[in-house]
Amino acid sequence: MKRKLAAVLLATSMVAGLTACGGSDAPAADDGTVADEDAAADEGTTADEGTAADEGAAAADSGDPWADVDTSEHVVITYMTTGDTPSGTKEKYDEMMAKLNEILTEKVNAELDINFISWTDYLSNYNLTLARMDGTVDLVGTASDWLDAWPNAKNGAFLELSEDMLKKYAPKTWESIPAENWELCKYNGEIYLMPEDNYAQWVNHGFTYRLDWAKEAGLENGVHSWEDLTTYFRYVKETYPDIIPWDSDGTQYATMVGGWISSHSNYVAIDGINSGAMWGGTKDDLYTVYSPYMTDTDSLVEFAKMMKEWDEIGVWQTDVLNNTAATNRDDYRVGKVAAEQHHTQTWTDLVSKTPANTIYQDDADAASGFFWFGEEAKNLTALSITHGAMAISAGSANPERALMVYDLLRNDPECYKLFCYGVEGVSYEITDDGLRTTPEGYNQDTDNINGTTNYWWGRNDDLEIRDASRDWDTIDALYAEYDGLKIEYPYGQFVAEVDAIQAQIQNINQIHEQYMKQIAFGKYAGTAEEIVAEYQAALEGAGINDVTAELQRQFDGLYK
Amino acid sequence: MKKRKSDLTFLEKVVRNRVLLFMCLPAVIFFFMFNYMPLPGIYVAFVKYNYRDGIFGSKFIGLDNFKFLATSGQLWTLTKNTILYNLAFIILGNMLAVFVAILLNEMQSKWFKKVSQTILFLPYFISQVLVGLLVFNLLNYDTGFVNGILSSLGMERWQPYSDPNVWPVLMVVIYLWQQTGYNSVVYFASIMGIDGEMMEAAKVDGANGFQRIRYIILPSLKPTIVILLLFALGGIVKGNFGLFYNIVGSNPILYPTTDIIETFVYRSTVQSFNFSTASAVGFYQSVVGFVIVMTVNYIVKKIEPDYSLF
Repeated sequence: MKRKLAAVLLATSMVAGLTACGGSDAPAADDGTVADEDAAADEGTTADEGTAADEGAAAADSGDPWADVDTSEHVVITYMTTGDTPSGTKEKYDEMMAKLNEILTEKVNAELDINFISWTDYLSNYNLTLARMDGTVDLVGTASDWLDAWPNAKNGAFLELSEDMLKKYAPKTWESIPAENWELCKYNGEIYLMPEDNYAQWVNHGFTYRLDWAKEAGLENGVHSWEDLTTYFRYVKETYPDIIPWDSDGTQYATMVGGWISSHSNYVAIDGINSGAMWGGTKDDLYTVYSPYMTDTDSLVEFAKMMKEWDEIGVWQTDVLNNTAATNRDDYRVGKVAAEQHHTQTWTDLVSKTPANTIYQDDADAASGFFWFGEEAKNLTALSITHGAMAISAGSANPERALMVYDLLRNDPECYKLFCYGVEGVSYEITDDGLRTTPEGYNQDTDNINGTTNYWWGRNDDLEIRDASRDWDTIDALYAEYDGLKIEYPYGQFVAEVDAIQAQIQNINQIHEQYMKQIAFGKYAGTAEEIVAEYQAALEGAGINDVTAELQRQFDGLYK
Repeated sequence: MKKRKSDLTFLEKVVRNRVLLFMCLPAVIFFFMFNYMPLPGIYVAFVKYNYRDGIFGSKFIGLDNFKFLATSGQLWTLTKNTILYNLAFIILGNMLAVFVAILLNEMQSKWFKKVSQTILFLPYFISQVLVGLLVFNLLNYDTGFVNGILSSLGMERWQPYSDPNVWPVLMVVIYLWQQTGYNSVVYFASIMGIDGEMMEAAKVDGANGFQRIRYIILPSLKPTIVILLLFALGGIVKGNFGLFYNIVGSNPILYPTTDIIETFVYRSTVQSFNFSTASAVGFYQSVVGFVIVMTVNYIVKKIEPDYSLF
């Protein structure tokens, strides 16, 4: 009897253990969220009551915009960003943060701490950290197209930023962002994001390639089509057998096919629905939703064929789909590969004769060209201003101070330069032409700060100092070409409601990955026609047409 | 004896067994805290979870979170793959573990026994991530160790990462390599617990080594084997995500034979961060696991009531 009782207990607890596994992360995420949020909201409205008379008097004459804000309590503001914690440059990083915190303490009695979400599984870890809602983070770097800004706003992770709050605690930011841009940061009438809208950058993807080798291959003007790329890769593989033309990893499938489609159609994708950006309109008819993955069958078949050809040429390694440790970009810098697929911003680095890009030192003829996706069809959409934005966590205990810190990081020249470039004279110097260069005795591996704080959510062209090592003539020429062709991102105001179509989208994501990986790396069995047909049948089975219809319905509600 | 016991009231039984019950207490508290208290959290599988409203404040949406798994059209393949892999792991794993435990037991040299136990045990401590890298570096086409040897011997290179059919075998081999040392410890311990007098009596009666294994050790291990099997069966619908994800990664060519529930769900939901669908899947697996445990236990009870759990 006793044995039986014990056995029953044991067995039930075991089964219970199994069930609890699925649900156990949820209760942990839940504790005290409601209370926190209320407290935060309360503080937002009541903070100006306690006008801290003595402090206000002291600061009033210095023109301090926050003279009447109670900053008597010293607080630590944590800023969450994706990226890896600086390791080699740790010492200089600490030094910079110490200096920055001195200023922040003096101005708003706060200090900044950075919570780095490392690139491995960054999206899950980023979202998990947000879901904790326990005040772990205050400032959140986010993005509507690649960091789930809107899903998180809907999930209640971000604090609503009232106009009064912004005017009071982030006055310079409030003023510098035009009203129409604030409109694009709203969901249900509430502002959730502070956009990086005064920073010129292009993150449309394409291939950076060796212009000198392309010329050797007979492409006198460089690569200007996918067919040229085939020629180029074939030449590189034959002429330089030791070089892997493009040491890709399996994750690049979505950008590849997306690039192909924008090169061969007028497709304009809607951001932030899934990472494949599989729905959109066309340049001529922006508000009729369709998915080129269903309609552009011939184009996809052609793509599948060309990628098979690339695979046979040996553009990438045979086991590319299992390759997770690719270091292609760094390999490009030192001449071990012949191409890098990433965005224009990355090309501006790779094209320049920086110390890290040793190909230019080793070979005087070396040069880098850029073939951007969409070039053939002259199809280019400018970046959405919420490609980078700052939000305040709804779990933050000090949202006002977080706003004040952000206002300084974004608009105060001293803070901005420290945060973006490091300590002057150590990590950078300003030339007579007002360009940024490196001081004598500078070591990139230990002294660099630029790009290590991953501040992609509030860069400001008014304060940016151009990097002297960049090849600005070439870069500006491409930017000018872009400016002549671009259309503005047309769907900034659209935040898709995906609750009703979540199941379909999840299955579509899975199918897209499963099939498109094989297609984009030419690893499919059978013919190109067959695999594309199979892919489209699977998408249809998963309900892609329902999703298109639902998005159309929402479009009609917003734009008609 | 039985009769007398059943006459006692519950309280009397508690008093009589107080020492035993007291010894159970830590385990009971542990299970209560970590397995029973989070149970209400299952509810998250039925809501549209919102960070601010919490689990019980969020909107109830019924079975919507289960929809994506059901409509994927893959549920059967995934469940089948998961169960078949786990069956292979459980059956072969336990057989090999018993075998290894017996071998260890028969070893005369103490030094050799310790060394081999350690070597067998070691892979268990290697992280799955490293195992994945190790396998990739052994097997990949361009630079893999195996292919290096093959091509230097003038043989054709082997392309396992493009051939789904070899993976069921490879996965099982990798699993066994990693887990056998650990699993054999339990069996080794129960062999140690076998009454030494029985062994000596058998020896005196002229039983040789094989006969002792066949007629003493194996029968004595039977209850342990059955209980461990029953425990393992409860988790049969839970795939070994670490193993599969790190070794297969997201190589769709291999999905037909290596995709298990966990890896599929990971791929589908990693883009749309969603506690609720994840919990829905966990719940589905638990229910299936529960049904399997109950069924198997029922069968065991029919055959040999002493070995059943309850």
